[in-house]
Amino acid sequence: MFEHDDDALNRMIDRLREPVEMDPRLDARVMTRVASRGFAARAALVWEWLRRPRTVAISPIAGLGLAAAAAAIIWILPSRAPQFAAPLAADVTPVQFVVVAPGAEHVSLVGDFNDWDARLTPMRADRDGRLWTVTVPLTPGRHRYAFLVNGARWVADPSAPRAPDDFGAPSSVVTVGG
Amino acid sequence: MTTLHQVSALALAAALVGTGTARAQDPRLMHRLDSVTLASVGALMDSARAAGLPVEPLVQRALEGAAKHAEPDRIVAAVRRLAGELGVARAALGRESSPVELDAGASALRAGVRPEDLTLLRQRRTQSLTVALAALTDLVVGGVPPDSAASAVLALARARDDQIADFRRAVERDIALGAAPAAAAAVRVDATVRDITNSAANSGNTPRKP
Repeated sequence: MFEHDDDALNRMIDRLREPVEMDPRLDARVMTRVASRGFAARAALVWEWLRRPRTVAISPIAGLGLAAAAAAIIWILPSRAPQFAAPLAADVTPVQFVVVAPGAEHVSLVGDFNDWDARLTPMRADRDGRLWTVTVPLTPGRHRYAFLVNGARWVADPSAPRAPDDFGAPSSVVTVGG
Repeated sequence: MTTLHQVSALALAAALVGTGTARAQDPRLMHRLDSVTLASVGALMDSARAAGLPVEPLVQRALEGAAKHAEPDRIVAAVRRLAGELGVARAALGRESSPVELDAGASALRAGVRPEDLTLLRQRRTQSLTVALAALTDLVVGGVPPDSAASAVLALARARDDQIADFRRAVERDIALGAAPAAAAAVRVDATVRDITNSAANSGNTPRKP
């Protein structure tokens, strides 16, 4: 071997002995892969356990209990969801209702916009107590309503078309376009 | 399957059936109707829902009856009648009709309008039918014969909602002043059609901006 060959060989050895610069994230990547392989292996085991057929013994009382529990879950879940969507504010039109009821102690506007609940939309009297008014936001459509005077007397709106009377007490109709 | 398992399955099925019935009932009705009326109205609502009809008008009719302290039989009869009218309205107006249109169509039928006229209105009007149907109903309730009212509203099938509403108010005003209902509708519809035609012609002659 020649002298200059030895020098070249020594330089190569020194070069190979130099420490290699490693990506500092390498360890993290390796550990992530190892962990995922472990999870996949465990999941495969669980899946195999779930798929393996086996005989389950259940007493009659436990069977009835399970049936009752399933029924209770089905009963409870839908009741948590809103059954009827509230109308969007953009779709409503304010409508003023007016009725003359001199001497009345209280007057309510009752209709399908407040589920026919006389407590929800009380009307306000003017200074003389003759003219009762209220303004309510209505969605597009045809709404039936009536005035309830002193909680006992149903009065139709004289300024609006009458609705067919199904119940022996008058109602009126207001239509909101849209 | 053993007998015990069959018993369990039956119990589950019974529980599920019971749950389905209860779910069909509207919570707003539960405290306003007695149990027998509630069951009858609930069955009518189930049938309507199964037929694809809106149930909200049925709920409101039952609530109206309850608020007015009507007899239970009367409430059930009113809900049943309305369900039938909604079905006829849907057949006349088409399956694409909105719940609001069906409700307005049911009112028109109740007033005496023929289903065929509802179908014609659907064919001729591209906009929502709610206001047109309401005007038709109100005219008939106000004394205009159903065929005259239908002819008038069909003549205005392409008018805007506010034009139809103005027409209806004008007819009602004329009737209140003593005009014969059919004549009032005929005169006012001619005037409204003339106004619409003139305004369309004027808007067409308006110079356009460069």
